Amino acid sequence: MEEHKVVEVRNLVKNYGSKDFLTKVLKGIDLTIYEHDFIAVMGPSGSGKTTLLNILSTIDTPTQGTVMIDGRDLSRVSNQELSKLRRDKIGFVFQDYNLLDTMTLEDNIALPLSLNGASAKLCMQKTEQLALMFGLKDHLEKYPYQLSGGQKQRGATCRALITDPKIIFADEPTGALDSKSSRDLLECLKAVSEGGRATILMVTHDPFSASYAKDVYILKDGLIQCRISRGESRKEFYDRIVDVQTSMGGDFT
Amino acid sequence: MKMMELAWLNVKSSIRSYLSLVLSLAFTILIFYNFQNIIYADTFAVLGSQNKDYIDIIIQVISFVLGCFMFFFLWYATNVFLTRRKREIGVYVFMGLSNQRIGTLYMIETTLTGLSALILGLFTGILSGTLFQMIFAVISEYEVTVGFGFEIKPVLVTAAVYLVMYLFFALKGYIEIVRSSVLEMISAARRNEYVRQRAGLLLAKALLGVGVLGAGYYLAVRKGGMEVLTNALTAVILVVAGTYLLFGGLIPLLFQNLARNKIWLYQRQRSLWVNQMIFRMKKNYRTYAMVSVLMLCAVTALATGFAMRQRYRNMVKFDGTFPFQLISDRDDLDARARELITSQNVITASSGAEVLTMDGSQVTASESYNWYILIAYPEFVSMAEEAGMEVDLPEPAEGEVAAASHLVMLSLLTDQSNVRIQICGEEYRQIADSTTPYLGYLQKEMSVYVVSQTDYERLLPLGEKRYVYNYRIGDTGAFAQTKEALDRLQDEYPDSWIGRIAVDPDSTELAWTRVIYTICLFLFLVFVLAGGCIMFMKLYNDAFEEKARYLVLKKLGFSRRTLKKSVAAELRVSYLLPFLVMAVSSYFSVHALENVMFEHLNGIRMISVLVTLAVFLVCYFLSVPVYLKNAGIDAGA
Repeated sequence: MEEHKVVEVRNLVKNYGSKDFLTKVLKGIDLTIYEHDFIAVMGPSGSGKTTLLNILSTIDTPTQGTVMIDGRDLSRVSNQELSKLRRDKIGFVFQDYNLLDTMTLEDNIALPLSLNGASAKLCMQKTEQLALMFGLKDHLEKYPYQLSGGQKQRGATCRALITDPKIIFADEPTGALDSKSSRDLLECLKAVSEGGRATILMVTHDPFSASYAKDVYILKDGLIQCRISRGESRKEFYDRIVDVQTSMGGDFT
Repeated sequence: MKMMELAWLNVKSSIRSYLSLVLSLAFTILIFYNFQNIIYADTFAVLGSQNKDYIDIIIQVISFVLGCFMFFFLWYATNVFLTRRKREIGVYVFMGLSNQRIGTLYMIETTLTGLSALILGLFTGILSGTLFQMIFAVISEYEVTVGFGFEIKPVLVTAAVYLVMYLFFALKGYIEIVRSSVLEMISAARRNEYVRQRAGLLLAKALLGVGVLGAGYYLAVRKGGMEVLTNALTAVILVVAGTYLLFGGLIPLLFQNLARNKIWLYQRQRSLWVNQMIFRMKKNYRTYAMVSVLMLCAVTALATGFAMRQRYRNMVKFDGTFPFQLISDRDDLDARARELITSQNVITASSGAEVLTMDGSQVTASESYNWYILIAYPEFVSMAEEAGMEVDLPEPAEGEVAAASHLVMLSLLTDQSNVRIQICGEEYRQIADSTTPYLGYLQKEMSVYVVSQTDYERLLPLGEKRYVYNYRIGDTGAFAQTKEALDRLQDEYPDSWIGRIAVDPDSTELAWTRVIYTICLFLFLVFVLAGGCIMFMKLYNDAFEEKARYLVLKKLGFSRRTLKKSVAAELRVSYLLPFLVMAVSSYFSVHALENVMFEHLNGIRMISVLVTLAVFLVCYFLSVPVYLKNAGIDAGA
């Protein structure tokens, strides 16, 4: 059986500015993400990582090319449908967590599902399930200011997962975490992906984080320069990423 | 750069936040000035010096109330403003400015704002002064000519009162800045309250609030004698304190418990706005309470105004029931009196009766009069029927009396049960009281009691038998001529005792009371507008602080529609909470008013509550788009 394509990008071009002062950020990206993939996108500053993520997450629009999410061409859907697509099919994890400080972790996690009109019982059930999986069961009653950075980011990931989105876009999710918290989070993401619960696209500058993914795409000057796939060992995968990074040069931070 | 220039630059750069402060301050100055202007302008002097004096006293009292209102409004406005500015001011710390110099900067800025507000308020006040007096005269039904004029005294008084208060708060702000730490200044605008407040403390506050409010309600409606005044004052203090405790305790407690019930919380947008309400409650409860109290004042003021007007109209009607009355020792005056009156006028109704008069020393009652009139029940019934009046007093048995009293503006004696009077040393139980003008003006000048036929006959030798003649005329325009004609009667019977009462239908004796209605109406408008403005200002400012949160929600993919629904629900509840508490409290405050004014005011209460609701609805509908813009949900912010 053919694998289900969650994201399909063909010849994606993005330019900024007018004719006289045109900046070509993305110069023709082709990328396919299949269900339950865990992809990392790496690249030096200015390589177009954020632009690619913004277009995939429907916040920005491409100049040329097609972007399909779960079989739907983004250029052919109305604004209202885009909003619905973002709500139902995409989950977001940000570098700075973006949990709402006005509510408890439990309410934060349940928020997208309850706003989508799911029954309260389902919201509670799924929140508990995810909290258990991410080791947050004892922290549900707490407010964000009472949680550590790692706990907050795991909470934010639970929030992204609760609506069972087709894909999760994680923008530097470990950027603000210490190494222990980063490892915990990445283990969770890996488990989620391997458990068949989600497809993840993670943008990161950190080779260690990238080494948790199945495939790493290196972006440079608006083009995908290479794709590195994980073998048996994560350690060996990590070394290969670092080697490629060194050979390509540039500031990956 | 000099401090002055820096301050001026600050004012220019944040003109929008200054503008709301200047406009709200100018509004209070405008109102205060216009009331002062009425005292010093001679417009109402034509109503006679007594009326003018009364009006001035009333306006002085109202000026005091408005002065208090101005004080609290200044307190609130400068406080909100100081918190917003503190963070910006805090930046100067990094530029090496000392707290004293930052304080001076703040003083200069506030002085500039304060003076702008004063100039704007006085200028619009002077411009609108004549218009205000005209509206005042029209609503008060005064026929006076209002000319354009300018008096310096009200300007000086307004400026002095305002400046003293304003400088006090500016100085308070200065001291606060000088004493505060750097960290405090920088974090002032972002001082986030702990989300959930301690349940124990809330419960204690809630219980105390309910108790205090309940006690206030009880005291407000409790009937009694002179203690009613003390009760009313205590009730005011208790209701204000209770309202604060309710918003500080019961309402957050209620919301916190609701938020714990996830089955309830995870419905539609509740999770978002309920948590938001809880988060803001600690900071906002004072505002809710203040607005609730202001609205309560507004509704009570309007009810008072309407009651006063109703009372005034009834009193004028009462006095004019029989414009001509005679009281004499002769029982044969009717034919001649009719002849004299009809020579100039038409008699539309008349009545007569035999009564017994007693002087003040013979009767002891709660209200003392120089003369008392006793009338036997059968005679009373035939007199009422003669004038076409319905008898609304029951027949007293022996040892009982029924009082035919008159209307008063307000009476603190609200408990009319178990009233006893003494006539010639014997105690009588009062079984009923009516304010139907059976004896017209005479009923106001003397205290009238209806007694049983047996008691009447027994008391007859102790008092003096008199005959009362009452006449209602058809042409009030010929009042003076009729009076002149009737005066001949006394010359025709020089040996008889004849008292003549003539009540001029154009009398301005009670004209001053009409001003109360107008003032109450203005107070209602001022309080309602101020309440609406305070809520609007609060939500306007809150929206800026919510910007970051709504940005997150937008990033997470929530549609504008969902966020708008959540905002609308939050604002709806924010307006509804003070309104509901006010609506409940107003039942008791207006009921207390009904007790002292003996009027049915429930209809007026409903109307004023509905008007308040309408003002709130307008504010709500204005708040939603402004909030959406300020919170960054709608583009353009």
